[in-house]
Amino acid sequence: MLLIECPWCGERAETEFSYGGEAGIARPADPDALGDAEWADYLFNRSNPRGAHRELWNHAQGCRRWFGVERDTVTYRISGSFRLSGGVGKRED
Amino acid sequence: MSESLVRRHGLESLLAGMPGSPSADPGVSVTIRGDLGHINVRGNAEGTGFVKSVEQVLGQALPIRPNTVSAGQHQVFWLGPDEWLVATPSGVAAELAGRLKHASTGIHASVNDISGGQIALMLQGPKCRDLLARGCTLDLHPGVFAVGDCAQSGLAKANVVLALVDDKPTFMVVVRRSFSDYLYRWLAHAGSDDGVTFRDA
Ligand SMILES: [Zn+2]
Repeated sequence: MLLIECPWCGERAETEFSYGGEAGIARPADPDALGDAEWADYLFNRSNPRGAHRELWNHAQGCRRWFGVERDTVTYRISGSFRLSGGVGKRED
Repeated sequence: MSESLVRRHGLESLLAGMPGSPSADPGVSVTIRGDLGHINVRGNAEGTGFVKSVEQVLGQALPIRPNTVSAGQHQVFWLGPDEWLVATPSGVAAELAGRLKHASTGIHASVNDISGGQIALMLQGPKCRDLLARGCTLDLHPGVFAVGDCAQSGLAKANVVLALVDDKPTFMVVVRRSFSDYLYRWLAHAGSDDGVTFRDA
């Protein structure tokens, strides 16, 4: 089981969290201007890296906040958590 | 039209069906605090107007440090950076909620009396840490989870607010009403070797 650090509550067991996918995916400002391929890219295509991955987690059974986690997809090692700003997973610094 | 409304909590029928003579020296005794009211308060902790007006009504501090409790006339639990739970005798909860609502008029905040939606259980006795640890991933060692700390977590998969009230120890577990009979049965089963007993407040 992963130990995930909530920026507010500290380290908690993975079972308290739910996964929210890749962080930093901004909704297009003008969806009407997009073609099908670009819209599909926004909806479905993810970077799926081998290694460092920035992703969204929700502390569902705790304080219910969304935040970001940097996790290695090979080793599952988590290098840190960060609070969000702007709603799309940008770092708050 | 009904002549009087009687508040009933979700565990009354379970308690009524309990065997008559609980063990004299239980490892865990559970007191069902159906007599407590619950108020959920949300607002921006950084907007000083909100914290100030809520604290004025409560007569005590709103805990800003995550996962801590402010104990005074009421018990105020930190639930999130913009969310708190106020536990207070059910006789005064509605009136207190009204005053909190009034005080936060014009402020981006919400106050909800959720007394009917959840229930508090107090666990006491030498074995209660062991019993809770069987269903909870939190580290409940007194050096880690101390008096005045609270946490929302899972207890046997039910969402709960857990707090250490004193170092007898007394733990407070707040659970949704709809999960309360499940949690009661889980405590009874998981605590059967510890001679767990239940009683109404
Ligand atoms: Zn949290």
